[in-house]
Amino acid sequence: MSVAVQTREGALILDSHKLSYHMDRVEAWEAGEHIAPVSVDMALTRACGAMCSFCYAMMQESQARSSVSVPRALNLLDDFAAVGIRSVSLVSDGESTLSNAYVPFIQHAAKLGIDVGNATNGWEWEPEKIEQVLPHLTWVRFTVAAGRPESYADIMYKGPEHTKVFDRAIEHIRYAVELKRRKSLPVTLGIQMVLMPSLREEIIPFAQLGLDLGVDYAVIKHCSDDEQHTLGIDYSQYEGLHDLLVQAESMSNERTKVIVKWSKIKDGDKPSYKRFYGPQFLLQISGSGLVAPSGMFFNARYSKLHIGNFTEERFIDIWKSERYWRAMDYLASPAFDAQTMMGTLPIQHYVSVALDNHAKAIERIQPGIGEKPLHVNFL
Amino acid sequence: MAVTIQYANADTPVPGPAWSRLRDDERLQLVKSTVGGKLGAAGDIFIFGEAKMDGQIILAFHEPVPADKRGTLLLDLESFLKDSIDPGLVVWLEPLGDRNSLRNLRGIEVKA
Repeated sequence: MSVAVQTREGALILDSHKLSYHMDRVEAWEAGEHIAPVSVDMALTRACGAMCSFCYAMMQESQARSSVSVPRALNLLDDFAAVGIRSVSLVSDGESTLSNAYVPFIQHAAKLGIDVGNATNGWEWEPEKIEQVLPHLTWVRFTVAAGRPESYADIMYKGPEHTKVFDRAIEHIRYAVELKRRKSLPVTLGIQMVLMPSLREEIIPFAQLGLDLGVDYAVIKHCSDDEQHTLGIDYSQYEGLHDLLVQAESMSNERTKVIVKWSKIKDGDKPSYKRFYGPQFLLQISGSGLVAPSGMFFNARYSKLHIGNFTEERFIDIWKSERYWRAMDYLASPAFDAQTMMGTLPIQHYVSVALDNHAKAIERIQPGIGEKPLHVNFL
Repeated sequence: MAVTIQYANADTPVPGPAWSRLRDDERLQLVKSTVGGKLGAAGDIFIFGEAKMDGQIILAFHEPVPADKRGTLLLDLESFLKDSIDPGLVVWLEPLGDRNSLRNLRGIEVKA
């Protein structure tokens, strides 16, 4: 695993995990206890106004969608606090900024002491909304598919002529960067490119855009695909991008770090683990309300791993249920093979590699020492 | 106590020759008759579509089943089929395609 990247505000870990700072949960898990997740990755809606060519949400349609009301969203947070969940990332399978629950959710989480991060395209993230949420967010990561307006519009929207979506996103990102500076907010702002092998020409312009915007980081990651290869990603082609990615990283300056998620790119389409322990620590919830161990299992295909829907029953009851632990136990049993039965490189990948290595005594997870990294509650 | 780490190195069972040597229609019929024999009319909630040589059994529900019920139903079914026919069998539902009309303009089709 690569080391943390030093930023002006602290150590930033994007290409590894932070289990070392949650040894209470690691030890309880190893002892066979039913643990609460450290973190939940979720969305407040399945809706999205973009049409990104790399979007995994295209493969995440479950059997039914439910609307996430404000009271349900706030109850969910109360339940998270009750069971001991430490952070929530609004990423998952929808554009949460479109939800009526978006602002109250973030503000309520702050009151409960739960850290919140958010990934967004930024299109509907206007200044008024930014002012309401930015002081309460630990990080915001903007999906920026490319550094050039035409390429961005082609990858994320209807075609290269629709550059106004790029202009709108950039305007909002600049507003957030300025607001952070003006109010000295402790929030990390980054942009992310989901790199498909065909997008090699976009790597350097993307890194340059990160520098121009003055965000804290610009990260480049792999593209996930399902086990049926629906998106047709050829992982062997990433190797040919190595030099360009190194060049992009070398563009880092004092203010903006360009970071490549080397571990995920190198791990390609076959994980080292067969058992999938990560969801016990990092649970995912769909914008449809569906609670399933991982976003890899949101699609109806994986209905045997669907646990419940928090718009129909309280999350705390779902977490306590036999259903929840049956699904988690299934993923930890020989019946499940992560190498053949799910998509590539899930959000729980780093955690799952570390837990698997720990379980096999290849590399035991050690307690973290020294100053905690940024975003320590986001695994 | 939960299942934790004892299976980290274990291999996942694959179907044996008794299953693999059957034709597609014979495997499907075996699954249907085994489920019918055990569940009777209760088994009618399932529509079995495929029973592949690699052990994957693809099915659908006659009617939508709530999220708090379908996991248990399907894990019970898989467990029963493993015990009754072959430990290498796994159950999957027919996949659903994206309902987002905008994203659908990309023309991506979720594969079964």
